[in-house]
Amino acid sequence: MIPAGFDYVRPSSVEDAVAALAGGGEDAKVLGGGQSFLPLLRLRMAYPSLLVDVGRIGQMRGIRDDGDALVIGAMTTHHQVLTDPLVREHAGLLAAATATVADPAVRHRGTFGGSLAHADPAGDLPAVALAYGVQLVVAGPGGRRTIDAADFFVDYLQSSMAHDEVLVEVRVPKLGAGWGFHYEKFQRTAQAWALVGVAALVKRSNGTIEEARVGLTNMGSTPVRAAAAEAALAGANATAEAVAAAAARAAEGTNPSSDLHAAADYREHLARVLTRRAVGAAAGI
Amino acid sequence: MQLEHQFTVSVPRDQAWDVLMNVEQIAPCMPGATLDSVDGDEFAGRVKVKVGPIQVTYAGKAHFEVADKEAGRAVISASGRESRGSGTVKATIHTQLHDQGDSTQVDVVTDLDITGRPAQFGRGVMVEVGNKILGQFTNCLEAQIHAGQTAAAAPTEAAPGEAAAEGGAPKLAAVPPPRPSAEAIDLLETAGAPVLKRVLPLVGALLAIFLVWRLVRRRSH
Repeated sequence: MIPAGFDYVRPSSVEDAVAALAGGGEDAKVLGGGQSFLPLLRLRMAYPSLLVDVGRIGQMRGIRDDGDALVIGAMTTHHQVLTDPLVREHAGLLAAATATVADPAVRHRGTFGGSLAHADPAGDLPAVALAYGVQLVVAGPGGRRTIDAADFFVDYLQSSMAHDEVLVEVRVPKLGAGWGFHYEKFQRTAQAWALVGVAALVKRSNGTIEEARVGLTNMGSTPVRAAAAEAALAGANATAEAVAAAAARAAEGTNPSSDLHAAADYREHLARVLTRRAVGAAAGI
Repeated sequence: MQLEHQFTVSVPRDQAWDVLMNVEQIAPCMPGATLDSVDGDEFAGRVKVKVGPIQVTYAGKAHFEVADKEAGRAVISASGRESRGSGTVKATIHTQLHDQGDSTQVDVVTDLDITGRPAQFGRGVMVEVGNKILGQFTNCLEAQIHAGQTAAAAPTEAAPGEAAAEGGAPKLAAVPPPRPSAEAIDLLETAGAPVLKRVLPLVGALLAIFLVWRLVRRRSH
């Protein structure tokens, strides 16, 4: 189908974008790479009165090193993120997970910020953002503010941004030495959303796992951390048995849904199995 | 498919039934719903549901097949259609009130039939969002009940549902017993609507979520 009618503006600065959103009211919507939003328009499931296309705002693109964090512009495409040497060096999990997103065509237009703002729990990047504990910088009529990843994903397709705010950039903290990573994604077909995905960051020193962070994809209405598994891994021996015991708690506190692709109990089973694999790989076991 | 929801309100069963029968009182508790018309025991309304960027508006009708106050049981038949699409929905909603002394447990079992694109998709998020909306509704309902308890207490005893004792399609605009207050009169005029008003939005919301799920899963192909 073709979308329903809408007004369209393409501002060239963040301030102009915010002004356009504020002026457009509740039904104004930001258009990023369009890879999630355009299908909604074409299926006539969304009826924005105004589209604010932020594709021309140079300030929102690019990746730079800011000392203790990488700053990734919201409009940086998935392809740019996964091929960037800074990301590969300091945020390897992000590059690895982004490589599993959709297909090359989508990755050349879809954006990191757009993927986070869309807040789909079945998307790969929200779980990764949660595992890293990124900080999201949004601009609104009152100026800029920073939102922690833990507070950003509120509900299914809903972030904590106001309707007149636009995501400008994302700060990914550099974790430093000793951290291994792995993204384990389980899907039935080549290009698909994960039935369940596990983003694992593990800090290992000699024979001990000092700390682990485990983000779960598609295990609820928002991405979630496998808190019980993380607690069990902290200080555990870096052995397969210890990892398996901790991974057995991966589904605690989650609320996966049942649908045509998987029942809730199967998703819980997948979470446990994939956490064991992901943490094992990240810990080098 | 079948969906089950349950909630508890902190008033005795008869009072819960009567409060639920007061459409004007509980209508604002359901977000995004509008009642357009009441024609005997048939009601027409619209529900606008928003989930993130997704918005769907449904227009539909419903009527009571059963409204048995003594048994605490009501069955509503509802059907609706997307305002800006070709999807349709048909639902039979079975509501059962259980007496728990000072409180009442309400069980809602919905048989849902969806045609059109949403039918391709399974329950998924539908249950979650349905629960969220129902949670919002019941919190509001509880607040309304406590606020209105003093005002509503006296007139609600001989409620309109009595006429439903004969089976089939009950005449819910029953013979009114003498009523002292304006609020009670409202109750009679809008007799029968409450459960509908409560569930029609829920059905609409659930349907909306179906569409969401459909969209999301469609991309898998």
